[in-house]
Amino acid sequence: MRAVKQLVSLIVAACLLLPPAAARAQDAGALLDLLVKKKLITDQEAEEVRGELTKDYSQQPAGRLKMSTPITELEIYGDLRMRYEYRAGQTDPDQPVAAPGAGIAGRGDWQERRRERYRLRLGLRGTLADDWFFGLRLETSANPRSTNITFGDDSSAGHFAKTSDGINVGQASLGYKGFRDVTLTVGRMQNPLVTTLMVWDADINPEGVAEQWKHSYNFNIGGGSVTSADGKSTSVAEGWKLKLDVFANFAQFVYDDANPENPLGRRGFTNNRLIPNTDAWMFAWQVGAKLNFPKNYYFQAAPVLYNYSGLGDTFNSFYRGGSPLVTNAASLAQNQTGINSLLVLEVPAEFGFKIGELPVRIFGDFAVNFEGDARAEAALTPGKGDQRYAYQIGAGVGQLKAKHDWQLQAYWMHSEQYALDPSLVDSDLWDSRVNMEGVVVQAGYALSDAVIFNLTWGYGWRSDKSLGTGGTGDIGINPLDKYQVFQADLNVKF
Amino acid sequence: MKLTSLVLALGLACLTTKAHADRLVIKGSDTLGAKLVPQLAEQFKAQNPGTTFDIAAEDSTTGIAAITDGTAQIGMSSRRAKPTEVGAATSKGVNMKPTIVAYDGIAVIVNASNPLKGLTKKQVEQIFTGEVSDWSAIGGSGGKISIYTRNTSSGTYSDFKELAMKKRDYAGSSQKMAGNEQIAAEVGKNSNGVGYVGMAYVKAPGLKALPIDGVLPSVQTVQGHSYSYWRPTFYYTNGEPGGLAKQFLDFTTSAAGQKIVAQVGFVPIK
Repeated sequence: MRAVKQLVSLIVAACLLLPPAAARAQDAGALLDLLVKKKLITDQEAEEVRGELTKDYSQQPAGRLKMSTPITELEIYGDLRMRYEYRAGQTDPDQPVAAPGAGIAGRGDWQERRRERYRLRLGLRGTLADDWFFGLRLETSANPRSTNITFGDDSSAGHFAKTSDGINVGQASLGYKGFRDVTLTVGRMQNPLVTTLMVWDADINPEGVAEQWKHSYNFNIGGGSVTSADGKSTSVAEGWKLKLDVFANFAQFVYDDANPENPLGRRGFTNNRLIPNTDAWMFAWQVGAKLNFPKNYYFQAAPVLYNYSGLGDTFNSFYRGGSPLVTNAASLAQNQTGINSLLVLEVPAEFGFKIGELPVRIFGDFAVNFEGDARAEAALTPGKGDQRYAYQIGAGVGQLKAKHDWQLQAYWMHSEQYALDPSLVDSDLWDSRVNMEGVVVQAGYALSDAVIFNLTWGYGWRSDKSLGTGGTGDIGINPLDKYQVFQADLNVKF
Repeated sequence: MKLTSLVLALGLACLTTKAHADRLVIKGSDTLGAKLVPQLAEQFKAQNPGTTFDIAAEDSTTGIAAITDGTAQIGMSSRRAKPTEVGAATSKGVNMKPTIVAYDGIAVIVNASNPLKGLTKKQVEQIFTGEVSDWSAIGGSGGKISIYTRNTSSGTYSDFKELAMKKRDYAGSSQKMAGNEQIAAEVGKNSNGVGYVGMAYVKAPGLKALPIDGVLPSVQTVQGHSYSYWRPTFYYTNGEPGGLAKQFLDFTTSAAGQKIVAQVGFVPIK
């Protein structure tokens, strides 16, 4: 029997020379079970061999990873991106100018920026016992709309210093999926809403609470069986299959915290108004549906309504958004972030199909601020309340899922001065601004399953020439009369 | 004078060592430690007067950790040591050695008034993961299913998850109990209750074990491995045991010890 045991050890050891450790241990376990079943070895002998295998496995790196008992699944994920970027903006050709000098904007003056950047996002998500889950993501850069670090921008502590290479908590959330079709999340989270870059920068991880519901319905229209007259042969006609995914997303985000809510003594004043003593909240209510038709056709629409309450610490003045009637410096100094008079309806939609094996999608977004008149009036431009719309329309072909995949897409994006919250719109297109319109072209190629090369080019113009371009971006110009951006990205996902 | 003190000290040390050698510390699994090991210990003491036992029945995790920490000579476990546990032991120079001392079948129990005659493995998975929440969905007479499980550090908890649930999560509504006896007691009182216990606990009043795919846990079906939820139970030691630990281990696996194993309700290894 000792010889048999040695033989078993040899066979099992041979198994261990094959693929990954965990899989090998399982294979060896199955082999031992079989040998016991065949009565070639006893349970005790199998157990001793299994114990040795476990000991060997425990000495390997994967075997040393310990998870606390409540964790039922854990995933490490992230991405690392290298980027070259060119970004430029031009001033208004008719804007008043200050006395010429270094750093003083002239008419039709271009400001350009070229930079090499990287970003790292490292995440950990896991499920816990009893339907709980959690997520954590660390990100470079503290900027809410960018996780990029620019090479060579931290010379204050010496060249190649690390002063700007910070690690920040980008996401930290806890959730519960114990109710059927419902996901509840609290914390700093991935945006739970279906939306586009026109309204939300993809880097923003809002803080607060979200409730999501999703349910799928399957319909088989027509079809069925047909029995011949003799009652014997039966033919089955294929029905028209339709899948309907219905979802609803609700969010309550803490937009800005008021501190303190109850101050010592009486409340003071800023901008001739009482200092706010309530948190600013952003609310979102979204319902949507995705219809999946036969032959890979689908259509999705997901209207969402946004509203705000409270003023927090920083919203005690009204949005102005810049002006072409004052100098560039004075225009930039106006309020660019106010959340007054924003009741925005957004309707992102997408239609997809396949030409042969090539995925094609036509997508768009539309938004209107129902309180555009009041927002324009508060910005001292009464009569400009019609500048309340934003839209995006585009098309894309291809996908980026595996090595050698490619993708092309182009879209037109237009956002008016009083349509959207400038603090949320994408920071690259158009430099975190509204009252802009233009074209964006993007191309991507998957060098491997995990490495993707992307090119993005965007060119935009000021939409309404009588207004500023609200929002604060990297280009120190307002109004941003023309804007151009080019990005070349090498992105590794893991 | 100094020599006398040294001799006295050495003598005392020898006496202390002798006293410690006659005391066996056993920690770990509630499945083994609640009934079986105390009865084995009683018999062993009868044959070896002067021996004392310190038995702590908690859970398998505690038993394995006790061997790693050196706080017990025998660690009882109803599950195999995990790679992380073996790794932790190895890093401390401890050689985690398992010895099978009995087999067990994890019985799925319901209240005696439950009209169900048996369950399939799929149904068991559905019940304990919460996919099915009413007895009527699996042919019962209706009523919301109350699930009783062990706590998360229990070997039976993880064994059942692996054997019966494809490692899926327990239903969020499941109630975690400290031991087999508590689960048996709750199921015995609750006409909608369902739980799992080691075979030694199926004779508790007010409950019945259900056949799984037509097979009930028994000596024959567990030894022959035809019952789906069978498992070995272990004594873990630091390498080959010596002294009192070896004597007790040998006694456990002897014919006399295995007779007690059978009497308590476990399945003998031979």
